[in-house]
Amino acid sequence: MNKKARRTAVALVTGAVSIGLLVTGCTPSSSDESTQESVSQDDIDTAMTTPTKLTFWTWVPDIENEVALFEAKYPAIDVTVENVGQGLPHYQKLRSAIEAGEGAPDVTQIEYQYIPSFVLNNSLLDLTAYGADDLSSDYVDWAWNQVSPDEEVWAIPQDVGPMGNLYREDILTAAGITEPPATWDDYAAAAKTVKDTTGSYISNVGATQAGQMIGFLWQAGVKPFGYDGSETVSIDVNSDEAKKVADYWTDLIQQDLISTDVDFQDQWYQGLASGKYAGWLTAAWGPIFLQGTAEATTGLWRAAPLPQWNAGDEVSGNWGGSSDAVLASSENKIAAYELAKFINNDEESAMRLATEQFLFPPQVSVLEDPAFVDQESEFYGGQKVNELFAEISQTVDTDFQWLPYMDYVYSSYEDTVGTVIADKGDISGALDVWQDQLVTYATDQGFTVE
Amino acid sequence: MTSIDTSLITTDDASDGTASPPRTGRRYSPEGRRSLLLTILLWLCVLYFVLPLWWLFVSSTKNNSALFSTFGMWFGGDFSLWENLQTLFTVRDGIFLRWMLNTFVYAFVSAAGATLLATMAGYSFAKYDFPGKKLLFSATLGAVMIPLTALALPTYLLFSQAGLTDTPWAVIIPSLVSPFGVYLMRVYAADAIPDGLIEAARVDGAGEFRIFAQVGLRLLGPGLVTVFLFSLVATWNNYFLPLIMLNSSELYPITVGLAQLQSAASAGGGSQALFSTVITGSFVSILPLVIAFLFLQRYWQSGLASGGVKG
Amino acid sequence: MTHSPALASERPASAPPLKKRTTPMKRKQRLAAYLFLVPFFIVFITMLVVPLVYAGYLSLFESKLIGGDVFAGLANYVRALTDSAFLAGLGRVGLFFIIQVPIMLGLALFLALALDSARGRGSKAVRLLIFVPYAVPAVVATLMWGYLYGPDFGPIAQISRAVGLGTPDFLSPESILGSMMNIVTWEFVGYNMIIMYAALRSIPAELYEAAEIDGAGQFRLAWSIKIPAIRPALMLTVIFSIIGSFQLFAEPSLLNAIAPDAISTSFTPNYYAYNLAFINQELNYAAAIAFLLGVVIAIVSYFVQLAGERRERVGHAERGIEP
Repeated sequence: MNKKARRTAVALVTGAVSIGLLVTGCTPSSSDESTQESVSQDDIDTAMTTPTKLTFWTWVPDIENEVALFEAKYPAIDVTVENVGQGLPHYQKLRSAIEAGEGAPDVTQIEYQYIPSFVLNNSLLDLTAYGADDLSSDYVDWAWNQVSPDEEVWAIPQDVGPMGNLYREDILTAAGITEPPATWDDYAAAAKTVKDTTGSYISNVGATQAGQMIGFLWQAGVKPFGYDGSETVSIDVNSDEAKKVADYWTDLIQQDLISTDVDFQDQWYQGLASGKYAGWLTAAWGPIFLQGTAEATTGLWRAAPLPQWNAGDEVSGNWGGSSDAVLASSENKIAAYELAKFINNDEESAMRLATEQFLFPPQVSVLEDPAFVDQESEFYGGQKVNELFAEISQTVDTDFQWLPYMDYVYSSYEDTVGTVIADKGDISGALDVWQDQLVTYATDQGFTVE
Repeated sequence: MTSIDTSLITTDDASDGTASPPRTGRRYSPEGRRSLLLTILLWLCVLYFVLPLWWLFVSSTKNNSALFSTFGMWFGGDFSLWENLQTLFTVRDGIFLRWMLNTFVYAFVSAAGATLLATMAGYSFAKYDFPGKKLLFSATLGAVMIPLTALALPTYLLFSQAGLTDTPWAVIIPSLVSPFGVYLMRVYAADAIPDGLIEAARVDGAGEFRIFAQVGLRLLGPGLVTVFLFSLVATWNNYFLPLIMLNSSELYPITVGLAQLQSAASAGGGSQALFSTVITGSFVSILPLVIAFLFLQRYWQSGLASGGVKG
Repeated sequence: MTHSPALASERPASAPPLKKRTTPMKRKQRLAAYLFLVPFFIVFITMLVVPLVYAGYLSLFESKLIGGDVFAGLANYVRALTDSAFLAGLGRVGLFFIIQVPIMLGLALFLALALDSARGRGSKAVRLLIFVPYAVPAVVATLMWGYLYGPDFGPIAQISRAVGLGTPDFLSPESILGSMMNIVTWEFVGYNMIIMYAALRSIPAELYEAAEIDGAGQFRLAWSIKIPAIRPALMLTVIFSIIGSFQLFAEPSLLNAIAPDAISTSFTPNYYAYNLAFINQELNYAAAIAFLLGVVIAIVSYFVQLAGERRERVGHAERGIEP
């Protein structure tokens, strides 16, 4: 063991002792009395010209390009981009770092549904004092509500996933279906025709994909979750409306008209590419994703809105998307906020995110920019797919909320609903079990359940 | 079998082979009486162990579409090994090479350190008598029964207190603990170093540390190689520890890097091409250890088979 | 709670202790002995004991998302003992141990004996090729087997269909445990074989010569001389396999990405503890689970060893050999 290692070993013992003294090693240090006074322009100018190092955790590929724009504008700020994992590993690391009180980034990517769980332990900085309030009109309403359900603003929206229907026009035509199904009843009928005449499933419902199912519930107007921002939650995943959706899928799955392969696995990719599935009910990030996945089927796909529960309605749900938040523990809060804002609000940066990284934009300016909406996609036979999803984005219900422990919600979904879907069982019944688990967990954790 | 505790479990159970007291003379060996049936059985077993690796090699020569459209156990489609390798070594500015280097460094430093610590401790347990010996030795082995996955968070918190998370030390220091290395070296030293030799050195006036360095280490050679090799494999294959400790991708070892590439491949973003990259990366990542085993077999097998116990 | 004294006592451990009054010489040696231990124990204590004690301490508390930490005594342990998810996971790894370990060790023993008999051709290559999977990280092994198991494009399914057997489903909830057993067997047979083989190579020649005079066949030789002679090595592989099976973690956690519908969050106790800590944010309960699992492993190891020792005694008596 060399000297350095020995010294670190000693340091560890010291650290161990001090941890031992911290009896409540688990309680996160709550944020300081947040200063409600707004930050002045002077403060901002000073902060942005003082040499500062920021750490930014994100898994958006090549986001270094947008960060470079920021650094070009503010040469004093030096941003380190770290990809600590995608999805769950990301949040686990974030939580560990917050708990340890050290090593957390200044700015972090965060999916909308996880915001409450970090608000709960005061880990996120309320951005209102930094002027985030003024940005609300720059984003579509429902996306803004996701980052700012109440007075506070917890993050800046980065991308969203309003849901639509991608389908193989050739397969549907072969089955004699010339228009994309407008209602779920039409969809069920079409599923039967498609299966009978072509052998393809009209689409696949990922057995353990909570995001997709929650998106369906969202579209149906179900409000499965609620959180008041402090200690009260409401859980209603087995409401009558939710069961209506569940029964719909149970029926199609049991008739073997919808497959239930686990999504984002190689088998599933091949199913998309080979025509095993004639469609994919997915989010606005889906079209580009599919394009990279099923290259050989270029020109055969089309996009449409989701089928509706009531003929003539125009409603959709959301699946995925994320935002950038500032950690309360950041020592450079102003610069951190400016980074989160710049990435998702600067015209050039937002445009590049939408057109180079293909994140579907929540920014009104991009959604109205002809350079974005008028793009014609060869993969979709020349259809203006962005325009379609920009329209769908207007139809997403604005009041959808999440629970402050979505990690558990998802893993519990996998164990209850997921296994039942895989077994082609009764999804409604599984919703009851899921409901029970979520309520038990909430009670055990000290929440008041409404 | 598990990943965090591999550093504890897999290090050196090899011990028992070495553990036997020194024997002399080569035993009877029935050369020439081959059995055809046995040969066939043996090679059938070999097929089971080798075919998956053969699949890995074959698949790393395929591009994405061939991967899912041709028979898995034979070449098909275009021969894309070079393109795959090129992608692998250029993806994200060639970070794959960096991961390989990290793995080398972590594995070698950890293995060297673990071997040294285990040797000193094992030598002490074998050659000295002192109060508390039994207790300390039992504690050393007993600790392995607690699964370390659940200790991940406490360990992380401790490391974080010491400011060591996201540094190579966070991977190396925990890998220095090798209870079974201690066990192995204890048994090995008991056999390999005659007490008379130590007594003679003492009579000559040599200090205890000189005896260890000049008499002990020399006789423990094959045992050292064995402990080193098994610690090396344990750190090389470790996944869980670096996964929780490291944040910067330029510090990742190959296991964590590959898993991240894999999840990026699954999450898409129009990058399905990554599947063949991940497979090629897996293949490349196991090459160094496999080659090392092939070329170093004389050393590690002699360490295991205690033939050279006499020094 | 540890098996180690018994293991260690398999053989004389050290220089004959001199039980006289401590002389200055002895004192010096004793000091040296401790000094040799210091580096190892510094790391051992900081890396293992401190987190262990800390986790043990945490296991006595209850932490809630709302309301923070409360001292809970043994409540977490009581909860674990009535937690059907934990008990089911324990049952699953118990089953794994009962089925997979005999297969793995039996195969390893067969291979070690076969190689030791030197009756097959190309023994050296065989030995090496069987050992190679040990060099493959669990991450890669699981990824690889995940593809091999694939129902549409996996080669096993391709072959099975080609010979008209239909498509086997290796990743269904019913078969996933078996598929996992196969992966672990693949990874660790070579490793266990090498341990046994090395032990076989160091059996003294005199033992064989006696048997040779008796005219014993290979099977007799293996059964009555070789296997008893490497009993300590076998016991070691069994103990490691107990620990390995009960602590099963990497394979379920990696397979969960491929077959999330088949691997529940509590599939194995260790994986459950991990999920409790990182997903449910119930670190305290996770720590209690980990300790209970450690106790279970210690108990199983103890009884297996006891059984092994008894058999050894019986075996010696049968053959009329003095132990």
